[in-house]
Amino acid sequence: MTDSTNSQPLAGVRVADFSWFGAGPIAGRTLADFGADVVRVESEARVDGLRLGQPQKPGKSGYNVCAYFNNFNAGKRSLLLNMSAEGAREVAMRLIASSDIFLSNLTPRVISRWGLTYEDLCEIKPDIIAAYQPMQGLWGPHRDFLGFGAVLTPTTGISHLSGEPERRPVGVGTNYPDYVVNPGHTVVAILAALRHRRRTGQGQRVELAQIESVAATMGPALLDYTANGVNQIRRGNRSSWQCPHGIYRCRDDANGRERWIAIAISDDVQWDALCTTAEAASFPADERFGTLLSRRRHEDELNAMISDWTATSEASDLAERLQSAGVAASVVHDAEDMCEHEEHLAERGFYAYLDHPETGISLYDGPIVKLHETPGGLSAPAPLFGEHTFEVATERLGYSADEVAELTAAGVLS
Amino acid sequence: MGWYAGKLLSDLGADVIKVEPPGGDPSRGRAPFWQGRAGRETSLRFWYFNAGKRSVTVDLEQHDGRWLFTELVKTADIVLESWTAAERGHHEAVGLDVDRLLADQPALVWVSITGFGLDGPKSGWQVTDLIAQAASGIATLAGYPDGSPMRIGGNQAYIAAGISAAQGAMLALLQAEATGSGQRVETSIQEAMSICQETAHLQWDFQGTSRERIGEQHRIPGIGTYQTRDGYIYSMVGIPGFGAPWSELIRWMEEEGQAEDLTDPKYAETFDNFNLRIFLIEEELAKLAPILERAQAVLSKFYAGKTSLELYEQGQGRRLLIGQVATPADIGNSQHLAAREWWLELDQPTTLGAEPAHLRLPGPPYRLSETPAAIDRPAPMIGEHHQAIWVDEVGISAEDLITFAGEGAI
Repeated sequence: MTDSTNSQPLAGVRVADFSWFGAGPIAGRTLADFGADVVRVESEARVDGLRLGQPQKPGKSGYNVCAYFNNFNAGKRSLLLNMSAEGAREVAMRLIASSDIFLSNLTPRVISRWGLTYEDLCEIKPDIIAAYQPMQGLWGPHRDFLGFGAVLTPTTGISHLSGEPERRPVGVGTNYPDYVVNPGHTVVAILAALRHRRRTGQGQRVELAQIESVAATMGPALLDYTANGVNQIRRGNRSSWQCPHGIYRCRDDANGRERWIAIAISDDVQWDALCTTAEAASFPADERFGTLLSRRRHEDELNAMISDWTATSEASDLAERLQSAGVAASVVHDAEDMCEHEEHLAERGFYAYLDHPETGISLYDGPIVKLHETPGGLSAPAPLFGEHTFEVATERLGYSADEVAELTAAGVLS
Repeated sequence: MGWYAGKLLSDLGADVIKVEPPGGDPSRGRAPFWQGRAGRETSLRFWYFNAGKRSVTVDLEQHDGRWLFTELVKTADIVLESWTAAERGHHEAVGLDVDRLLADQPALVWVSITGFGLDGPKSGWQVTDLIAQAASGIATLAGYPDGSPMRIGGNQAYIAAGISAAQGAMLALLQAEATGSGQRVETSIQEAMSICQETAHLQWDFQGTSRERIGEQHRIPGIGTYQTRDGYIYSMVGIPGFGAPWSELIRWMEEEGQAEDLTDPKYAETFDNFNLRIFLIEEELAKLAPILERAQAVLSKFYAGKTSLELYEQGQGRRLLIGQVATPADIGNSQHLAAREWWLELDQPTTLGAEPAHLRLPGPPYRLSETPAAIDRPAPMIGEHHQAIWVDEVGISAEDLITFAGEGAI
């Protein structure tokens, strides 16, 4: 390891990453971002769906050119281990025995079939920290229900509480909980377990039932039901105590791209600042909007008048002017903004551009948090499919080259 | 916007002291309220995010208040703050200098939760949950294709901020305990939330196109939001590798006498081997249109005749990927969560009467086998722990505390 990784919080921490798709691999990536040696276990018999997903590098094909996979697995090593092959479990156990942390979002069924329960792992590595991310938990009446991010958003109340009240719940357009909520909670719990182990020598099992993890983010609405019997409904972009509070259409850009601005007024000072900035518009002088209560009562009319005003404005110029005046506002950024025009992110160096052997210079998310002295970051682009099988098998698992050849011939490694 | 980070650490056993201005954190005034009655000690939102924490008040606008605060910091491993850029500048100007505090206390971890980061052209910008969802590229993906971008429910940008900050706090704490060196940790809500763009930014990088809002997406029968007898479900049936195939759906409808003409093998054949690329080829799509429309009509009628919970439980029993679009009541009444004993029972004091509010509180997001979450106290009342913290732990004399109280520093 280099000096720079040695100075990271997780330097020397070894992770056996048996996860796939989103929520698991992202947790592993954060650990890798901060210095852990993460071995991602994959197999030809059970290829991670994201390796075959979109977007793929134009003109390229195969397992190594999907950015969806690559982004979540940067900085890891890829080991191809076919768990269905005879002898595979012994290799898996050797990997786990050499690891501090085991990570998996496989279903409880597969965990049992492959012999990767916490009890199984403890037999060969008593102080292992074993993190599981079953959709519904490791036990309970719905234990074997299927689920992916797209279904988790509905089942946890997020879909019901997103969208316009008079329209159907709209969903959120992505597999939202996969990206920060579930991997982030998992990492927090793993780090706490790591701290406990450093202090006591004791490992443990971390169970992140994805449904609980996401429901925990909806606490106030759930408590409103259990305490008051109130079953909340979505309210669009409106807020109970902020008004105006919405997203308004601005002038399309020169290419006909829709432009929108978000504006959130939280107090009288901001309201006055908005009115000063919009002095030519019709709403500042309208006495119906003098207090928060009367603005809330006439919110439809107010929103229509604000939209009339923003419709002729250029979005980023308007956001700058509003923020200068002390109003919370932002352009509703799309991917083009985030990647090309958001100088703020560029100046902060959030996105990393790494040179990948098959996709060339490609964009990766930066670390989710910035540590000033040990900032972490991506040590390498995503591994090629099976790129490190030999390296991991010999260096970390201690197999000889001959043994690797035998395991390869037996279809265990590839 | 900083509450959730402290909650996550509190759930893990940290002793989290909430430092409030005199009169209490203004966010104590946020709905929903116990029995719908607004007040400083009745906010369910506050109770949920602050259960397990203790509270002191201190006035950072006063010399003595700032001194007390720095004395409290000396007893801490981690400081979490979500000051606005203006507040941060003001505190530094009057002598609460973070760099100096870090220099005086080398192992200290100082976590700043910010809208746009501590540096960069927008570091001074104001933020709210809505603004962060817009600025992070998330709102543009949510919402109806014919409507405006939409905020995701539940203050999710603030949640992302809390999760980011808790990860940073734990990483820096591990590092500080291993090396003796603490540090500044910085969460930018814009950056943390932007990770939820999924593939939108990656698609731009590879293909130069921006993803658009897809809304409910009702083009392929079996995939999308469907009305049920009492609400909605999200159905994701027919994608190879994601649960049982469409023919299982037909079998189910047939068993209930509602398959109509979908028993014609052409339906199972079409949807069990459905190729999404069909939507790229107009001619193919036109040829298939009658089959798509017929299947959609029969399926919609079938789903509309059952409750969301029936469809969820019976469908999942058949390995069909169906999720209930759950309301808070559905989650509150979930047999699964009840059987897992996820909810926490807690007596919460209020100012509404002598009797505490008996709460059934949503549980923690994770379960650790050897160090399970222990939320052993309700959310604090304003300044509830003055005596214990200032006198017993920080070491202020009772006499001095009276002086500080008199001048309003606490």
